Formats: sequence, structure tokens, C-alpha cells
Amino acid sequence: MLDGRLARLQARMREAGLGVLLIYTSFARPSAVAWLTHFVPYWNEGLLVVPPAGAPTLLAAFSKRMHDWIRSVSHVGEVRSVAALGRAAVDMVENLPAASAVGVIELDALPWTVAEPLLACCGERLTDASELFASIRQPADDTEIRLAQKAADIAGRAIASIPHGAVRASEVLAAIERSVRHDGAEEVLQRIAPDLGGGTTLRRLEGDCHLGGRYAIELSIAYKAAWVRVARCLSPNAPPSWKQAQRWTSDWATGTTGVSGGPPPGALAFWTLEACVGTRPFSVVGSAIGPRGTVAPGTLACYAVQLQLADGPWLSGGPVVVGGEGPGRLLA
Amino acid sequence: MATEGMDVLVVAGDPWRSDYLRYAADLAPGEGQVFAFVEAGRAVRVVADSPAEAERFRAEQRDLQVTWSLSPIEEAEAAIRSLAGARIALAPAAAIPFRLAAGPLRSSVASATALLDRLMLRKSSLEIDALRRAAALADDGYAVFREAARPGRPEYALVAEVEAFFRSRGCPENFQILGSGGREVRGMHPPTERRLAPGDLVTTELTPCIQGYYAQICRTLVLGAASEAQLRAFAVYDEALAAGIAAVRPGATAGEIARAQNEVFRRRGLGEYVTSEYTRVRGHGLGLYVDGRPALLEDVGLVLEPDMTLVVHPNTYHPEVGYFVHGDSVRVTENGCEVLTRAPRRLFSVSPG
Repeated sequence: MLDGRLARLQARMREAGLGVLLIYTSFARPSAVAWLTHFVPYWNEGLLVVPPAGAPTLLAAFSKRMHDWIRSVSHVGEVRSVAALGRAAVDMVENLPAASAVGVIELDALPWTVAEPLLACCGERLTDASELFASIRQPADDTEIRLAQKAADIAGRAIASIPHGAVRASEVLAAIERSVRHDGAEEVLQRIAPDLGGGTTLRRLEGDCHLGGRYAIELSIAYKAAWVRVARCLSPNAPPSWKQAQRWTSDWATGTTGVSGGPPPGALAFWTLEACVGTRPFSVVGSAIGPRGTVAPGTLACYAVQLQLADGPWLSGGPVVVGGEGPGRLLA
Repeated sequence: MATEGMDVLVVAGDPWRSDYLRYAADLAPGEGQVFAFVEAGRAVRVVADSPAEAERFRAEQRDLQVTWSLSPIEEAEAAIRSLAGARIALAPAAAIPFRLAAGPLRSSVASATALLDRLMLRKSSLEIDALRRAAALADDGYAVFREAARPGRPEYALVAEVEAFFRSRGCPENFQILGSGGREVRGMHPPTERRLAPGDLVTTELTPCIQGYYAQICRTLVLGAASEAQLRAFAVYDEALAAGIAAVRPGATAGEIARAQNEVFRRRGLGEYVTSEYTRVRGHGLGLYVDGRPALLEDVGLVLEPDMTLVVHPNTYHPEVGYFVHGDSVRVTENGCEVLTRAPRRLFSVSPG
């Protein structure tokens, strides 16, 4: 499966005349390298050097003793421990024919410590390869959708594990963390709107606070490098309007390529559609303020919707496989 | 900024390098790329690329001017252009993106990064307080880790218990790696599906975060009674940690702390195992980044000053027992150091039953 992804990428590189493709990875931007190799650097940085044919080389700021771990969790050719990613990449690029284009996914965003030596070495040969990569990144393959389904199931169990009588945000966050990690997910990022009566902002909570009668949580979960984002409103006394809102939202989310969900049961305050198209797990590909581009049928995306219902605000989010001529498919 | 001749400091960050943003504008991005425009006498302007993050920043700090954009780098570039005539600097080198740094402000990156690096080394009393609380939480977290360590449990189950504990205490973030097994173990890693077995050495470093400040504890436990070899190994690491901490004082260099630890290994014929083949650093700075400056390596000449904060850890491979960790968080005081970690320095033995 990983070999197939790499082969598709390398075919596009050859069509585009790229001599090499460089892909940066860090905790904040792990997705492109993870999609190709299953490697996530966690507490470090790396640079994947992809030739037009053959196995890629991973440049990583890890010491050599970590190579066994890297090899045990990923699928790469050579692994090189380097002190400085940019300078190490220059050493590899200098072996290319002088006119070869050097592609970089998200060149504009490349950290300066990595980019500076490359600029000095390659200058005009550096070219942004974000569109090239995005063109093969979606639609999602069956493997990724299976992993995303597993992550969505983990999210569902985590939400179900929240104590019914929870009165403090920390009880909710701890229950979710325990459930998700015991289910084998490698990462969970949580945001919480602890009292929908006081606002719908999903916060990264430092400290603790009391829960209101209605609150909302958002979980971003990684399972074997497949990320999903799920948001739900919770209340010991959920009003009937919430079920109606969820039904409409499910129809809306599965019809995001054009099938109408009919009028919403309240004012549609905001919405986004996010997908992985580059180095980050989630990038906004559509929103209430305008689309970033077209979303291909089969894309693994995550919707987020906020409605202003007659009895208060309500929000929801979840993963969806975007439909084509037919409706899409919700994973959560 | 005034003495350095900067009117506007543009600070970039993301969840990987949020430390400079946190220092300059108290922003902790959970995802995406964020830029903060800091200037005297004006509200900090923030450009984010996630609508949810932008809303969160607005809610956390009412006086911020926050916008979000699908193209935050272009947005930041346009904002910089609109500041014509101002003396603008970009930081840090580790996070400022190519498109901004490759332009006319390229020469500002090194000096602005150095300015922030200097400011972030010595901690204020409020910062020290946050670090103390983080160190106390790390102690408690390690007690949870010990309780969770049982034969048959996968590594990730231990992390589940520790992370749940930290969330229950209002701590949003913890950096943790671990290792389990015997002589074959060469380091620590994110948790795997490996199940613990009797006789395993189980290593971990816990690094919880309070108000952005990370403190670290490193400890090793054995599942069952410790073997003679494990006890002998522990004695080396314990002596090295004590030697490293004894060397922490104003005027000492980071290199001297590393050397004090390494000499213990050399005297025991283990000098090979304090080279880069087997270990990375003998500790590092603590603050808004889990692996901050200075690195404790023998060739690092940075001179310690009061209120710098460090973790001292002689973590490395031992040829008889495998990878072994042992480390405490410390603060440099006016004439020595204060050990922030309170957990006992022991080779913990956990009942395998």
C-alpha cells in the first residue's frame, strides 16, 4: 500500500521533471511523510528525500541508536542521522544534475533553518510541489478509510466513556484521554466548550472549570497516522432539537458535493470542511467564507457545523468520505 | 526590542515550535501556523490559519487582534508590507517560513532569534513558580506510572493512565517517551504495543506542562526484584546524576555539568557509552520547550546564570542491563542549585504479581 502511494508520487514527479522531492515532517506537520512511510518524528524533525525512482531516504535529527525504532515503525529506504536537515539535504541535492528541479511540498512554509541552506545551494531550482502532492493525496484509499473508521470508533467509545454525572471539565478530558489511549490511538488533542450557555468557543483548557448544563467537546484522534476529528454537544438533559440538528447535519455532510440537506433547523452560523492534502492532518478545503478548491469524490474529510437553534447554540463534527454522484459516507 | 532597534517583532509558531509565540504573546497553538506581530504600545496582532484556533485566541485574550486566513503566510507578508518604514524583525529561525525569511528581512532572523533565546533562558519568579508546579506534577505522574506498570500490559496502557491523570489535574500537555525490556533496548520511544514482561527494565521520561512550562523527571523501574547487574548499573547513574547536580551553579558551563556526569562513567570503564553512539545529551534546558537550550554536552560553553532551569539526566545505554534513565529538574540559584524534583532517586521495583 505504501509502495503504491510512493509509485504514484514518483510517476507524477517524472511527469513534472522533478529531480528530487523534499518533504518536511514534524509533530505539527507529520502527515505527508506518514502517508508515504508511516514515520512520525514525534519530538524531532525529519526530511524525506524522494527520488524519481527507488526508495526514499529519511534524514532525521535522531541519533543512530534510534534507527532500529524508526525501522520498526516505518517503511523507508536509508535512514541517516544528521545534525542539520537543510545542510544534509544540500549534500544529497548536490549530486543531482545541475539543472534538476528540486521540489518541496509547501515550500513557502518550510522552516528557515531547513530552507536557508537549500536556497543558497539551489536558488531558482527550488519549486513548490504542493499541488503535485495534493493531486495524488486524495481520494483516500481503502486502507486509510479503514484506519479512519477505526479512529472514529475510538472517538465514539471515548465519548461514551464520559461519566454521566460529570461536573468538571477535567473529568471529561481525563475519561476521554484514558479511553482513547487504551484503545491504542497514538494521539488525541482535545478542545472543550465547557458551557454552551457562555459561548461555543472550543478551548484548550489549562486548569479546570465547572461544566454547564450543556457543553461540547472536540477530539482530534490519530490512529496509525490516520486522523479524524469529531465534535459533539453533551448534556444530561439533551433537548429534542439536538437530534433534529444531527439528522440535518448528517444529511448536509454526506451531501457536501451538492446534494441538498434541505433548510437547517436553525441558522447555520458557520461550517468548515477539512481534509489532509499536504503535511498537516487537517487543512480547510471548504468553509462558510469560501472554498479553497474543489473536493474530489472519495476524499476523506472532516466536517464541522455550528447551528443557532431556537433553544441555543449547537455544534457537531465528524469524518466523512465525500460523495460523488451519490451521497457521501459518515464514519462517525 | 527598543535597545535592539526593533519596532515590530513578527513571531511565528506552530504546535511543534510554540515556545517563542508563548513567550512573546502567550499563544499556544494547537494546530496550524500562527504569526504574532508584537510592537510597543499596540495590541498584538495575530494571523492564524484555522478558524477554530482564531476564535480560541480571541476568547483567551480579549485584547488581541486576531484574523484567520486560508493563506496565513501571504496574509502575514501583506501585513509586513503595510508596515513600510518600520524596523521589522522575524523570529525564530526554527519556525519562520521560507517565504517570509527569504525576503528583505532575511538578515533580521538571526538577531531576533538570539534576542528571544537570551530572554527565555533566565526565568522570572512567575515562570519559576510554574516550573515548580510542573515538577511536582511530574513527581505525581511518575507515581501513577509505577502503579500502572504491570507484566502483560502494553506500553501504551501505561501512557493512557499517566495522560488521563494529567488531564484530571488540569494539565493539557505532557511529553512522554518510554522503553521496556532488557539489554536489547537502546533508547526510549513513543509507546508501542509491546507487553511488559517480568524482569523488564521500564524507563520513562515524563514532561508535563503548566502554563506552558515543562518540567521533566526520568526514572527507571524493574518489574520484580532487581538483579545484581541492575543494582550495579543504578549505582553508576545515581552517582552521575548527583555529580551533575553538584556541578550546577552560576558561572559553571553547560559543558562542565555534562563532564561531571560523564567522568563517573569513564571512571567505571563505561566511557564508550557517553558518546553520541549511545546517547544524545546529558540534560538540557527547561522552559517553554521540552528540549530547550542549553544542551548539556561537554563542548557547550554557555555559562549558567541564576534562574536558568535544566533537567540533568545521565541517560544512556548500559552494556549489562540496557537503556537506563535517571534525571531531575533543577533551578540555578545564586550560589548553587535547587532540585525541583522530589521523587526519590531509586531503582524502583514493582511487584510482578
